[in-house]
Order: sequence, then C-alpha cells, then structure tokens
Amino acid sequence: MDLAHGVQLVSFGILAAIAIVAALGVVLLQNIVYSAFLLGGVFASMAGMYLLLNGDFVAAAQLIIYVGAVNVLILFGIMLVNKQQDFPAIKGMWIRKGATALVGAGLLVLLAGTIVTTPWAISTATPTGDGSTLKIGEHFFSDFLLPFELASVLLLIAMVGAIVLARREFVPEDTPTTEEELAFKLPERPRETAAIAGGSQTSPE
Amino acid sequence: MDVVTLASQLNAGTIIPEGIVTLTLLVVLVGDLIAGRKSASWLPYVAIVGLLGAIAALFVQWNGTSDTIAFLGAFNGDALSIVFRGIVVLSTIITVLVSISYVRQSGTSLSEFLSILLAATIGGMFLCGASELVTVFIALETLSIASYLMTGYTKGDVRSNEAALKYLLIGAASSAVFLYGASLLYGLAGGETQLDRIGIALSQIETPAIAPVVALVFVICGIAFKLSAAPFHQWTPDVYEGSPTPVVAFLSVGSKAAGFAFAVRMLVTAFGSLTEQWHFIFAALAVLSMILGNAVALAQTSMKRLLAYSSIAQAGFVLIGLIAGTESGYASVIFYLFAYLFMNLGGFACVILFSLRTGTDRISDYAGLYQKDPLLTLTLSICLLSLGGIPPFVGFFGKIYLFWAGWQAELYGLVLLGLITSVISIYYYIRVVKMMVVKEPHEMSETVKNYPEVSWNLPGMRPLQVGIVLALVATSLVGILANPPIDLAKASVQRSPILQASISPAKEVAVSRFAPVQSSEFRVQN
Amino acid sequence: MLTPLLVIPLIGAIAIVLYPDAKKSWVVATVFCLLSFGWSLYLLSQFDLSFGGLQFVEFHQWVEPLGLNYSFGVDGLSLPLLVLNSLLSAIAIHTNRKDLERSRFHDSLILLVNAGIAGALIAQNLLLFVIFYELELIPFYLMIAIWGGKNRGYASTKFLLYTAVSGLLVIAGFLGTTFLSGSPSFEIADLQVQNLDSVPKLLLLTALLLGFGIKTPLVPLHTWMPDTYVEASPATAILLGGILAKLGTYGLLRFGLQLFPDTWELIAPVLAVVGTVSVIYGAMNAIAQQDIKRMVAYSSIGHMGYILVAAAAGTELSVQGAIAQMLAHGMILALLFFLVGVVEKTTGTRDRSVLNGLMNPIRGLPLTSGLLILAGMASAGIPGLVGFTAEFVVFQGSFATFPIPTLICIISSGLTAVYFVILINRTCFGKLDNASAYYDRLEVNDRWPALVLTAIVLFLGIQPNWLLRWMEPTTTSLAIELHRPAIARVAAIDTIHQP
Repeated sequence: MDLAHGVQLVSFGILAAIAIVAALGVVLLQNIVYSAFLLGGVFASMAGMYLLLNGDFVAAAQLIIYVGAVNVLILFGIMLVNKQQDFPAIKGMWIRKGATALVGAGLLVLLAGTIVTTPWAISTATPTGDGSTLKIGEHFFSDFLLPFELASVLLLIAMVGAIVLARREFVPEDTPTTEEELAFKLPERPRETAAIAGGSQTSPE
Repeated sequence: MDVVTLASQLNAGTIIPEGIVTLTLLVVLVGDLIAGRKSASWLPYVAIVGLLGAIAALFVQWNGTSDTIAFLGAFNGDALSIVFRGIVVLSTIITVLVSISYVRQSGTSLSEFLSILLAATIGGMFLCGASELVTVFIALETLSIASYLMTGYTKGDVRSNEAALKYLLIGAASSAVFLYGASLLYGLAGGETQLDRIGIALSQIETPAIAPVVALVFVICGIAFKLSAAPFHQWTPDVYEGSPTPVVAFLSVGSKAAGFAFAVRMLVTAFGSLTEQWHFIFAALAVLSMILGNAVALAQTSMKRLLAYSSIAQAGFVLIGLIAGTESGYASVIFYLFAYLFMNLGGFACVILFSLRTGTDRISDYAGLYQKDPLLTLTLSICLLSLGGIPPFVGFFGKIYLFWAGWQAELYGLVLLGLITSVISIYYYIRVVKMMVVKEPHEMSETVKNYPEVSWNLPGMRPLQVGIVLALVATSLVGILANPPIDLAKASVQRSPILQASISPAKEVAVSRFAPVQSSEFRVQN
Repeated sequence: MLTPLLVIPLIGAIAIVLYPDAKKSWVVATVFCLLSFGWSLYLLSQFDLSFGGLQFVEFHQWVEPLGLNYSFGVDGLSLPLLVLNSLLSAIAIHTNRKDLERSRFHDSLILLVNAGIAGALIAQNLLLFVIFYELELIPFYLMIAIWGGKNRGYASTKFLLYTAVSGLLVIAGFLGTTFLSGSPSFEIADLQVQNLDSVPKLLLLTALLLGFGIKTPLVPLHTWMPDTYVEASPATAILLGGILAKLGTYGLLRFGLQLFPDTWELIAPVLAVVGTVSVIYGAMNAIAQQDIKRMVAYSSIGHMGYILVAAAAGTELSVQGAIAQMLAHGMILALLFFLVGVVEKTTGTRDRSVLNGLMNPIRGLPLTSGLLILAGMASAGIPGLVGFTAEFVVFQGSFATFPIPTLICIISSGLTAVYFVILINRTCFGKLDNASAYYDRLEVNDRWPALVLTAIVLFLGIQPNWLLRWMEPTTTSLAIELHRPAIARVAAIDTIHQP
C-alpha cells in the first residue's frame, strides 16, 4: 500500500464516520436545529467522498446545491416557523422505536449483504479525472439530452408551482351575488382568507 | 461527434407530440401573462386544441416509420408507448373539460392549473416511452411534482393541504426507494443506464445473486406507488378525498396509465431475466389490491373515498393482464385502461358536477337525485355499473378480456379472485345507484331538495356537459363496438419489439376462429 | 329472423322514455310487447317441426379477439320459452297498474328484461349468453328495490348478491369449459368438451349447476327466493318466477345436459335426489305459510324440483316433460301471482287467517276467487289443465330411470293439492266479514290478463299436443346425445353378436 492509497483509506474512514454519526444525529436528536446543521455535515462529507472518487465537479455541485442552498433553506424554514411545541408523550413509544430500529437494522443487514455478495460489473472506462466537467457536458448534449431538456420543463413547472403556493391569493368577495355564484357551492372555497379579506361572512353551507 | 451527425441520430421526430404539449404549456403561460385574467375564457380551449394536436401527431406516428428509438436510446416511441401516450393525453383532455368551472369556483387561477396539468401530462407521456434510467426518473419526477402541486392547488382548503403534504412525503419516499433500486441496477450493469442493456447485463449474472432481486423490489416500490396498488396505496384515499376533484380524475387515470406503461417497459426490458420473480410480486400486489380495495370500499360514506378504493381495486384487476404476460394479456391491459379512462373520468365528472351544485360528496346526499338531475343520475349510474363490470357497458368487456387473458395464461386463482371481488364491487357501486335511483321523493336528502335548477349556460358548464356526455356515450357504446379498440391494443402489442421478445410462444394458445356451420351440428339421424 | 326479438323491446324501452305522456306509457309498452309476442308467434309458425337442431341461425363476427360472436339460433328448447317471455311481459305491464308510480321507468325496465331474457334464450355463444344473463340483474334489482313491498331494501340486496354469485359461477364455468378444452372460441358449436377429462368436467358442471341452481332456485340455494318473490311487486314477481327462474333451468338443460352429457349421466342420481328434496321441501313449507304470496313462492320451489328430476332422468320423454313443466309452471305461477296481487291490493292483506269468503258474489271478488281456484287446481295437477299435462309427462318420463324419486314426487304433488285446498278454503270460502268488507270493484285491467292466462292454461290442458309438439325433435336429439355412450355400447355388443 503506497502513501496515496493510505491517505485515501484514512480519509474515507474519517468521512464515512462523519457521515454515519451525523446522519444518526439527524434522525435521533430532538432539537430540530441540531438536526438541520448535522444534515449539512452529512452533505459535506458526501462531497468529500465524491472528491475521493475524483468527481470534482460533482463534489462542488454537492457543496453548492445541498450545503449552500438546500440546507440553508431548511434552516431558514426552521427559523421562520420558530414554534416551540412539546409533543405529548405517547404510551408505548418504545415499542414503536424498537420496531423501527429492528426494521432499519434488518434493511441495513440486507443491503450490506447485497453489496458484499454481489458480483458488481465494474465499468472498464478509464476515470476522467480533471476532465469530468467536459465529459458531463458532452453527455448532456448527446445521450442525456432528453432528460436534460425535460428537466427544464420540470424546473419551470416547479417554479410556477412554488409561486402559486407562495403568493397571496386574490380573494373575490364571498357574498354570492351573481347567478353563477348562487348556483355553485364548492367546499374548497377559501373561507379563512375570505373572512380576513371580506369581513365576516357565513359560509354557504 | 459533431452537431449534424448528432442531430441526425437524435430522431427527434418521435417526441413531436410531447413537443406540441410543451408548446401548448408555454402558450398557456405566456397567454395568461399577456392577456391577464380575461384569458381564462379561452385558455382551456387552447390547451384542448394543443392536446388534440398531440393526439393527431400520435396518430401520424402510429402509421409512421419503424425507427422508434430516439435520443440515442433515451426514448422509445414504439407502438406501445404511442397507445399509452394517447390514453394519457385523452385523460388530460377530459380532465381539462371537467375542471374549468371547478377551478373558477374554487377561486384559484385557471392558467396555472392548466400549465401544471400540462406539465404532468408531459411527464406522463415521457414516462410511457422512457427507456433509460435517467429519463425514466426525470419523467417520473415531472409527473409526480406536478401532481403534488395540483393536489395542493386549492390552498385555502385544509384538506387539500393535508393531501398534498401526505402525497409529497409518501411520493418522495417511494421515489427515493426507486432511485436506490435504479442505482443498484446501474452498478449491476456496469455503468449502463439503458434498460435493454441492463436487461442483458442482468441476464448474464449466472450465480443466483440477491442484488437483482433487491433492485427489482425497490423499483416495484416506485411503480406500485404510481399504480396505487396495495400495500403502496395508503396515500390514495386521503389524497383523493382532499384534492380538488379534477386533479383526482387525472391522478386516477392519466397518472395510473403512465405508471402501467412504465411498469411494462421497465419490467419487460430490464427485468426480463427475472420474469418469474416480478410475476410473483405483482401477483401478491394484485391479490392484496383486489381484496383490500373492494373490501374497504364497502364501508365508505364519501363518494371520493369510494372511488379511491375502487381505483385501488381496479389496479388489481389490471395487474392480472400484466402478470399473464401474453399478447392478449398486454392487450387486455391497454384495452382496460382505455375503458377505465371513460368510465372513471365519467364518474368523476359527475362527482364534480354534483359537488359544484351542492357542495358535498357524501353518498347519502345523492338520495333521490333522479328527480332533479336525470342526466347526472344516468351518467353516474352507467359509469359506476360499468366499473362494476355489468354488461353491456365497456367495463364488462374490459374485465372479461382481462380475465380471459388471465385464464388463458393459467392464472386460475387470480381470475377466480378477480371474479369474486368484482361481485363484491357490484355491491358497493350499486349502493350509490340505489341511493340515486331507488329513493322515493320523500326520502330525498336535504341537499337534493335544495338542488339548484339545472342550467348549462353558466361559464365553464358547457365543457363539463361535453365531458359528461362524451363519457356517457363512450362508456355505453365502446363495449358494444369493442372490436376496433381491442384490435388497436393487439396491434400495439404486436408491433412493439420489446413485448414480442418477452412473449414466450408456448404460452400463447393459438386461437383461430371460423364461422361455424351450426345447422348441421345437432342434426340427428333417426 | 331472431334479431327483432331483441330490437323490438330495446326500441320500446327507449321509446317509452322519450314518450312525452308518462301516464300513457303502458300503451307504448303494450304495443311493443305485442309486437314482440307477435313476432315470436310468427317464428313458431315458421318453425320446422321435423328438425331437432338450431333454426333461424344468425351469425356475425363481433368482438373477434374475445371469441364473442353475434350468434343466435333457436330450437325446441328455447322457442316456447321465448313465446312465454313475450306473453308474460305483456301480462306484467298490465299487472297492478293503478296508481303505479314512475310508470315510464317501470315499463322501460320490463322491456329491457324482456330483451335480456330473449337474448339469453337465443344466444348460441357462451359469452353472449353471459352478457344477456347478467343484463337482467340491474333491471330486476331496481324493480324490486323501487316497487317492492316493505322489506324491499333487504330483499333486493339479497337478490342482487345471489344473482351476482350465480353469474360469477356461470362465467367461471364457461371460461373453464372453453379454455381447459382448448376450444377455439366461445361458440357453443365450437366447444370441444370431449377433450376434457372427467374430473375437470365434473368441476365445471358443478360450477354451472350451482350457478344455474341459484337462479332456478334449487334447495339449498333457494334462500333468496321466498323473500324476493314476496317483497317484489306482483308484476316483478310474475317476471321473476314466470320467466327468470326458467332461465336457470334452461341453462341446466342447455349447458349442463347438452354440453356435458356423460358427466350429467354420472351425477344424475344426485340431481334427482336434490330435485326430490326441493319438491318435498317446497310443499311442506308452503303448507306452513300464513302469507298466501309466500305460499305461492314456496310452491314454486316444489315445481322447479320436478323439472330437475325430469332433466336428471334425461329420457326423451322426461326432457320433454321438463320443458313442458317450465312453460306450464311459468303460466300458472304468473296467474297465481297476478291473482294474489289483486287480492292483496283489494283487501290490503295477504294473511290467510284474515282473508275469508272472497267468493261472495256481491261484495267479494267472485271472478278472482274463481280463477284462483282454477289456478290452484292447475298447479296441483288436476287433469284437464296444463299443469297435469306437464307433470304427467315428467312422471312418465322419469319413472323408468328414477322410480323412487319419481314416486316421491308423485306423492308430493298430492301435498300441492293440500296447500292449495288450504289456501282456497281460507281465502275464497267461508263467511265474508260484514264490517270491513266493502271492496272496490275490479277494473278491467285487473281481469283480462288473468282471463287470458286462464284461457291458455285451459286450452293447453285440453290440447296438450300444442304444448308438446315444439320440443319433440329437440328432446329426441338431446336424449340421444345423453345416452350416446350407452347406445354405442349396445351397438358394439350387437356387432359382436352378429357373426
């Protein structure tokens, strides 16, 4: 084992330990803020793994998107909600926790066994190394062109949807005035917002 | 690889239908931006015209070239995908028709609803033909995310919010599981993402390995969630009850049809060497879906929940055709989905109309409806009876074809279970019919007593009426004229190379037909 | 030739809905019923009596991938039932018409039922038969649920579930018959039942027997029947008992006896016992009833038992008797239900301990009572009426094969007389209660259907040849089919013995 391999092994050990411990922390800790920060740790250690695999672009993307954007967004979300609420203790919670642990452990054993016993077909292509950005770009415009373009529709509609969900709704007057409104009684009419916007209104039902 | 050769290899003509829908989506979005709120009066028709254009493009493709592989193997526009894409687009058209007045009345904006719906359609269409893992996943996510958005579209309604959240969480979990399975496949195939190559790689694994089976199970988790087959159905009743009804109509037909297309392609191409295993898993899913869907539907009091459980049960029935794995098996799946399109959307259209006029969807509120609204009563009765498999409606023919194919493939247990559970289903469907038709005037529910005057002149009502009448006519007549659609389904199976490769010739019983000369059959020489 | 039997009632059903005057819907319905009846009589006149096979065959490809064809034909087994079907539909439309609510829907459903039953009787394709067989389910369910008595919800649901299960068993049996035998399509003429082994044959026949046995109904599958018949309105009961139940026995003959002759012969003793048990059970239960409608309903179980015994015997004469009994029982039961309906409507009760002295010529119901006595006599098998003809042929035909069951049936037919004497004695004779009995005069509509039926019952009793001649060639061929193995054996022995 030469030095490079040694360093790689040690870094892998450290990163893996961080990832596992942080992930356990995300799930087990009661305080949601800790969980959110630990999630950032998981993401960061995953980026380290990618670096170890020579995936420099993927590692950078992982850092920027997950740690920089997603995780920060989660933290913002937590801060904006900012609601302390103690959940009432549930009787026999330990049974559920135990069952969950059992299922989780079983899955772990299954998947680990799978990974160890399977004759994986290792790709024979040479690692790209520094040229990975180029390679990814080539793929985007050749055999992954369709998913790449489709993703733009996905992102567009996700954006539209986010705006729809986030914007303040224009609420029409709730008083049934026209013939049309008298004829229809839809349960999904936004009553709460209507009450704020149009004064007190009795619901049509 | 330079641009010219690349462009010639892409074979981009295969996705013209999707292109038309995408264009329509953009027109709807931009048209709303330019014209403002007034655009709501014409946008739905733009969407319908665009979708009809997509149907026309699909039709051209059906008669078109044999070169179906596009985008270097990412998309396969074979006959199978054309038929399923057609079903998805048709379901969207009817959904648009029935949603106009509903969306107007729920006080939300129509153009965004339409664009999200169109995006879901695009996702579903791509899912029907995607033959490469990345495309599959992106298409699946486009469909799913658009569905989540539509589910929570009426955000003033708490039930809609709850439904959206539940759907999102369970959907994300199942997507994640699917993705894990896909990554296992990627590893097993040595870095290949195309389904056919994965299939070859899997068939070359000689020693019995556990990894392909684990991948199969994980992939099926993703599929079964889309099909809402038990035990991956938990989201269905709550989402169906809470979401806006037109969305449910799309989810129950369009999304499900796309899921079936995806299932057929994925399992037949990638898991061809594990056919026994996936048949076994699907048989279990079918048994559970049929029993659970039909049994729980008996106890429902809300119409939407009833239809939710019925859709779980119907998925179970359709799975029989998938498990049969013969030519008529796949053809019966296609034909049943085609039938299901009309009867289920017809049922939902009636539920929409009833809730528009009365604001409720409780089954007991339908009591005595025949006196106030004969058209609604007739259509809902016929659609429900058709779902229950009563002749001469289309559902009977679809079901008998499924059972026929299943029996031919020697799935006796499944077919018998299907027969038994469909008897159970008749009971709960007819409960609604009884509520509407049998109740005397003095037993009429309060809601029906206050039923508004039937008027189709209000904005958005004409399309709804068109949708209802269309579903009524199709449900009553397609069964009697079942020959062309069944031929179409069979042709699509015969013309799809992936299915032909999987159908073992020994299983298909040669069915030849001849006109019998009957008059001499029973002649007796005295 | 046969398509009009389907098309006329279907057009009628639609025409009634579209006809503007709801009060006059019975006119339209009658016109179409009579058209359909006339057409079936015309077919009767064109029927070739010397030929036992299918006649008026129509064949078109329909849903080719399913093996479902538009394939019709009649023989001596189905043609008389077709006539009965149209006749009883016309009667049912005029039964208890006064103050009928939602009459348009009612008449439309009756015509639908007529079309469905006609289709089932003429279908020569198993799937086509299933379609028509299931088609009846919903109209009958609605008829019981809308126009039924107090307990109609319960009765209609029970009917629905039993009938749906019956349809299920029949479908399963048909699918099995076709695929296990490797037949090329669902055409009856294409079926290659001979390819089957005896065990699958037995299983399939059992499924069909159970399926049709529920419809017939046979003991112990009959539990839906008394409730349904009693709760149904007289018109519905006439159709249910008069013709729908006959679809069950028709199925037994057509798909049991005709398709599986050797297996049928194998289990014939069991069937004979079941039939005999039905006969005794029906008669005993009828004696114990207080409700006269329920009495009639139980009498029906007994009479369907005769049909099964005769079918099980499988001789030429007994099969002929079975068909004759279907017709005779169809008419007599319709007459009984009609008259009981009139009695119930006029007096407001069906309790035989309350009813009394309806024969009273001034204040009672003399005509109805007279016809009731006649119908009871016909049902009990008094010579000179159609019931006697049918039962006589049944007993004569079955005796050679199953002497003991036949003897028991003959004795039980004496019990029939017992309960009809009880019924008639309590309701028609005695002293009319002066305080309460001021009954409305009967309308014309309450008389003529009964008179028509009575006339036919009388006529066919005096001239039994008109009843029996249609089925002779068909039953001959059926019986030969059934005993072909035996005949072949005899022939083989003959050839051995002949040097």
